[in-house]
Amino acid sequence: MAAVLADPALKLATATAPAAPWAAERQPLIDAVRAIATGELAAIADAIDRQGTYPKAVLQQLGAAGAFRAHLRLDGQHDYGAAIAAMAEVSRVCGATGFMMWCHDACGLYMEESGNPALAGQALRDHASARTLGATGMSNPMKTFAGIETFLLHARRVEGGYRVNGTLPWVSHLGPDHYFGAVAAVEGAESGHEVMFIVRCDGEGVELRNCPSFSAMEGTNTWAVRLTDHFIGADTLIADPARPFIGRVRASFVLLQCGMGLGVTQGAIDSMWDVERSLGHVNEFLDDRPDELQAELDALTERAMRLARTPFDTSTEHLINVCDTRAHASELALRAAQSALLHHGARGYLMSSAVQRRVRESHFVAIVTPAVKHLRKEIARLSATVAPA
Amino acid sequence: MSAQAWRSFICRACGWIYDEALGDADGGLPPGTRFEDIPDDWACPLCGVSKADFEPHEPLPTLRSTATAATSPRRSGLGARHDAGVVIVGAGCAGWQMAQALREHDADLPITIVTACPGHVYDKPLLSVALAKGIAPASLVKQTADQAAARLGVRLLTRTRAISVSAGARALRTTRGTLRYRHLVLAHGAEPLDLPQLPAALCWRINHLDAYLKFREQLGEPGARPVQRVLIAGAGLVGCELANDLALAGHPVTLLDLNDRPLAGVLCEDTSRELLVAWQGLPLEFIGGVSITGVSDQGGVRTVHADDGRRFDAEHLIAATGLQTPQRLAQSAGLSWNNGIAVDPLTLRTNVPTIHALGDCISIDGQALRFIEPIARQARQIAATICGVALAPYDRTAPPIRIKTGSKGFTVGR
Repeated sequence: MAAVLADPALKLATATAPAAPWAAERQPLIDAVRAIATGELAAIADAIDRQGTYPKAVLQQLGAAGAFRAHLRLDGQHDYGAAIAAMAEVSRVCGATGFMMWCHDACGLYMEESGNPALAGQALRDHASARTLGATGMSNPMKTFAGIETFLLHARRVEGGYRVNGTLPWVSHLGPDHYFGAVAAVEGAESGHEVMFIVRCDGEGVELRNCPSFSAMEGTNTWAVRLTDHFIGADTLIADPARPFIGRVRASFVLLQCGMGLGVTQGAIDSMWDVERSLGHVNEFLDDRPDELQAELDALTERAMRLARTPFDTSTEHLINVCDTRAHASELALRAAQSALLHHGARGYLMSSAVQRRVRESHFVAIVTPAVKHLRKEIARLSATVAPA
Repeated sequence: MSAQAWRSFICRACGWIYDEALGDADGGLPPGTRFEDIPDDWACPLCGVSKADFEPHEPLPTLRSTATAATSPRRSGLGARHDAGVVIVGAGCAGWQMAQALREHDADLPITIVTACPGHVYDKPLLSVALAKGIAPASLVKQTADQAAARLGVRLLTRTRAISVSAGARALRTTRGTLRYRHLVLAHGAEPLDLPQLPAALCWRINHLDAYLKFREQLGEPGARPVQRVLIAGAGLVGCELANDLALAGHPVTLLDLNDRPLAGVLCEDTSRELLVAWQGLPLEFIGGVSITGVSDQGGVRTVHADDGRRFDAEHLIAATGLQTPQRLAQSAGLSWNNGIAVDPLTLRTNVPTIHALGDCISIDGQALRFIEPIARQARQIAATICGVALAPYDRTAPPIRIKTGSKGFTVGR
């Protein structure tokens, strides 16, 4: 339902919205991102969702606008609030592209924090401007650290590095010229030694294999990746051992994802207002009306922005707050997308409807690692009382 | 002839909009095709209904207020989806007393208790005298959580962490989902101070039944051989009572404190001395002036290191160095904070009308008062507020407290 986005009221609403939660000097970035999202991206959102169109040009435009460098220190101070806001603006229009922004952002985070000169400098500048594109294959290790899965990649020490074997089932935002961050358990080492590295999709011993189709977001270029004796040397190493590194970036990795849930929720609320004039007289009997959802979303956005001021706080309390905010964004996106569908009725049930697409996007937001259940389990683990064994 | 403005028409079935300026290329209508010029067999490109199902569409600015918002019953929080009624966080003395006080006012009020612990009803003061009184650990539970919940008609979520409060949405977020509340009562108490020199993995922190039972399990049956030694860091009320109880049961106890006498914060010097005299016949040694820098563990023996180089060994180490009130829930709810959740001295209200607090987590004029007696009165006060019943103001006067150091007890007026 492209009308949702072409609606001039969308701009009207933002003009009357309360003061933006990001710094004033970031407003041009957010405006530029919004223009790309409501323009070129809106026109292909349905094709991205159902026909598997990969929005490379849009991602490159977002890169040129600076959307992928806000959370990096390339320009001095990082600004996670702006990075999340940019992701939300895009997710508001197209959840799949918002997700790919996160994939790319997370990879940039790994590269910068690795301290590896081969991944910093020009490589990072190319990444930040989306001249090169990257992703993250961290679902399996994150679930392994939470006690939900076991490691799928195994690394064997060899001269000058490691040889890695194994298959990751679903890694998104890949392509022949893409790369992604991954973790492998080191064989033979005392347990608890993992290594983190960048895999180039065109590298030797790297094979992309087709995935079954998903219920949505087909344009995210999601593949299974099989590594066969793939060599990891000094130039692709992110961290060895990986655990201290992951401990450092974990909160910021999860916090960035909030952009997806906040944006999908806003998109759903926008579409509810679109039918308020014509259907308000029946929709008033529904739960989760747009003004209620907006109030909850605004409070949640404020919370995310507060946490974004200290993205590298490694305290347990901070991580609990981040996990809870991420879970809340997922739950709110589910409720908002569902309610938007009910607000639209049959027209929202059409396969071509953005309202219908957003329901499936909200499902994705809630199940992509860390999923709602994973986050709750993690919060329970982080809250547990420690006692002598 | 002046051109008529382009008009648009909306499909009544699916909401698709026909804009005369754009036409419908796929349907054979070039841009600029007037609605009346559309052939009758033309169909809506989205849903296939006919031209007759279209009506003029006047694009208006999007409406952004819901008409019945102000009067909708939803807004009161009553009858909303997932209404958990009054939600109480914590199932210690304060949590259960709160449920009891509410139930006395209203037999039908939905009450939900959320607690991280198993939720059994027990008397916390007994934990520091159970050995001397010969109370078996299993007998400490007065009523199981399920029994208490059934008796009070409470929905009970045990082993569930309350994570944060969305005060605007009147929702409590937990590790088992989100609860919509009419009123929220924080009764989660305080937790042992987390001091880096006394790591939790090496120190017992006996603040609730769960921890006490685990400690007793490792300590073994009274009289078991070899006798296990116990070090206690902190000679305040909890430290002294536990030390006395363990020593009476035959465990060699070393009680360490920064001060040069036990209960220095509560008793005068002479009375402290009386206590030391009473302890003379026991395997209990008080050592003052100890500033602990760390703990090490070697084959099950804990060694406490002091800054002057002294070392103390034992099989068990208990940290009894004071309490702190967890801040996260209060902070997320926007509650005023003053060394605890700040409540009004007379009404016990917090600064948020639908959120209440009692017990160890509150402070009055910046002062926490962590004793059992006031809790029932606090619960009655809050229950009256929630149920809209008038009640005399809360009396903050604290009663005398009984220090249960078995060898010589003291009553201290406050």
